[in-house]
Amino acid sequence: MNALELSGIAVRFGGNEVLKGVDLAVGTGFTGLIGPNGAGKTTVFNVVTGYVRPVAGSVRIAGEPVRAGRPAVVARRGVRRTFQTPRLVAELSVEANVLAGLDAGLPPGGGLADFLGVSRGARTARERARELLDAFGLAARAAEPAGNLPLGSQKIVEVVRALAPRPRIVLLDEPAAGLSAADVDRMVAPLAEIGERDELSILIIEHDLELVSRLCPRVAALHFGRILADGTPAEVLAHPDVVKAYLGAGVATVDS
Amino acid sequence: MTPLALLSGSPRRVAGVAGAVAAALVLLALPGLVNPYLLFQACLVMVTATAGLGLVLIMGWSGQIALSQAGFLGVGAYATTYLVAQGWAWPLAAVTAGLVAALFGVLIGLPATRLRGFYLAIATLAFAELMIRVFVEATPVTGGIAGTAVQAVVLPGIDVDGSRWYLCLAVAAVTTAVVMRIGRVGLGRRLRVVRDAEIAAPSLGVSPMRTKLLAFALSAFIGGIAGALYAQCLSYLTPEIFDMGLLIEFLVIAFLGGVGYVAGPFLGAVVVVVLRDLLQDLGSWQRLVYGLILALAIAFLPRGLASLPARLRARRPAPPAPEPPPVSGQADLTGAAR
Ligand SMILES: Nc1ncnc2c1ncn2[C@@H]1O[C@H](COP(=O)(O)OP(=O)(O)OP(=O)(O)O)[C@@H](O)[C@H]1O
Ligand SMILES: [Mg+2]
Repeated sequence: MNALELSGIAVRFGGNEVLKGVDLAVGTGFTGLIGPNGAGKTTVFNVVTGYVRPVAGSVRIAGEPVRAGRPAVVARRGVRRTFQTPRLVAELSVEANVLAGLDAGLPPGGGLADFLGVSRGARTARERARELLDAFGLAARAAEPAGNLPLGSQKIVEVVRALAPRPRIVLLDEPAAGLSAADVDRMVAPLAEIGERDELSILIIEHDLELVSRLCPRVAALHFGRILADGTPAEVLAHPDVVKAYLGAGVATVDS
Repeated sequence: MTPLALLSGSPRRVAGVAGAVAAALVLLALPGLVNPYLLFQACLVMVTATAGLGLVLIMGWSGQIALSQAGFLGVGAYATTYLVAQGWAWPLAAVTAGLVAALFGVLIGLPATRLRGFYLAIATLAFAELMIRVFVEATPVTGGIAGTAVQAVVLPGIDVDGSRWYLCLAVAAVTTAVVMRIGRVGLGRRLRVVRDAEIAAPSLGVSPMRTKLLAFALSAFIGGIAGALYAQCLSYLTPEIFDMGLLIEFLVIAFLGGVGYVAGPFLGAVVVVVLRDLLQDLGSWQRLVYGLILALAIAFLPRGLASLPARLRARRPAPPAPEPPPVSGQADLTGAAR
């Protein structure tokens, strides 16, 4: 069974048809979602995570249908995401921002135990946060206010926050955009390792086609709200419609 | 902490702990150190700061503009007074009054969590005005316009003035500890996530609506408890005590003291109580002075007096230090979108 299945998803904002019947199945491992600006990639994430209600179609997580419009419920079902621009609390420490990703996992009434300092869940959460920050090379800055970190590191913190509660499905919206080459490596290596070890299903929106080809055995290309091609990176990037879409958008393709 | 452990700490830490111990001793000995008039002013500082600690939760951390705190103080003051008159013990009456205020907090929060900025300010302001009407009309409980007398709490072996002080000091201390703790645990994180990254909150499994409701309930509870204390300072309750004037004092606390920090309400409360004392002969001119102070605070100290140490520290290093992190910070009355 696929971890995530979209069928016939259509989204309209006013008169603007942004998604026109998107079918996409996401299994274990990395799946790339590519497409020119405005293709509707982020909107796909918003539908999966319950932020946007589709006018048609359905989303299934591990075979179970998702009720639209309940993003907090979707998150608790093991779907985590990052945002195109990082959305952290600047004044809280890096570690506290990661812990914010783990708060919903506390048992009911855990708030009181947490307040009294006797919550075992809170202690495990701190260990988990430290372990992940360490894996992503951010342990030294764990106590710093997140707002002090450069944008690239903030994006990595968001990835860590998404991974922290051990989700089954992770949606990363342009995680490498604006990152230095060194930062990209710092993020990708542990991400790939954790993804493999925990058998995560990771859907990743990325404009850097070289990175997508390297990371994702499978890629789907979205253009004007439709999936143009779906297959191996080589197949998709060589697909005439994809080439045309990217040329039309003025983006160079990579030879593959 | 043993004295030995104290000595092994860094000099700054030792100085900090020594300062805190000295301050605690002075506060505990205060009834013997100052005259009853000053002691009464000190009580007002504690009461006002306690109410302000509620604003730290709602305005400082959850970023909601709540102009309803004076109303919650009124609910707490009247409810405690009524329950004590029915024969309840003061602590039980005060906690119950806090719970009643929290219930009102949820009631105002239910519509308010769908509003933001300017509209939220108006809605919470309307609630405060509505409460004044309720205080006027609910004569059997409140005594209406004529008001109702408050029974003073007297602790065994201590006079009335001293009893009032220790009551105010104890409640302010406990509230401070609780609010500081909330700031460090999951709830404190969730409040700030809702303030600074509301869009991200649901993706973390956090419901912004529920978090805001909880913030309204908690800050109203603290407001209610502060009201119970306030009644002890007033000895006679009438509805207009809880009107616009009190609201403006809370605005001074929020904006001049700074509600992003637990210390803010205490700084703001000292200013408010001293001003109230200095300006009492000015009549309606008082509000003009408050207005000017508010305008100056918002213009020159947007995060309040409590933010000064951090700002000075950020300025000290030789190279141009980064501006304080670009947090959108506490609730802003301008209602600007964030
Ligand atoms: N909430 C919304 N309301 C109205 N229009 C929207 C909304 N979200 C997205 N759109 C529109 O939908 C279209 C697709 O947007 P989307 O953000 O999904 O594109 P994208 O593929 O992620 O683009 P980019 O690569 O620039 O991030 C755009 O025209 C955008 O303006
Ligand atoms: Mg996008």
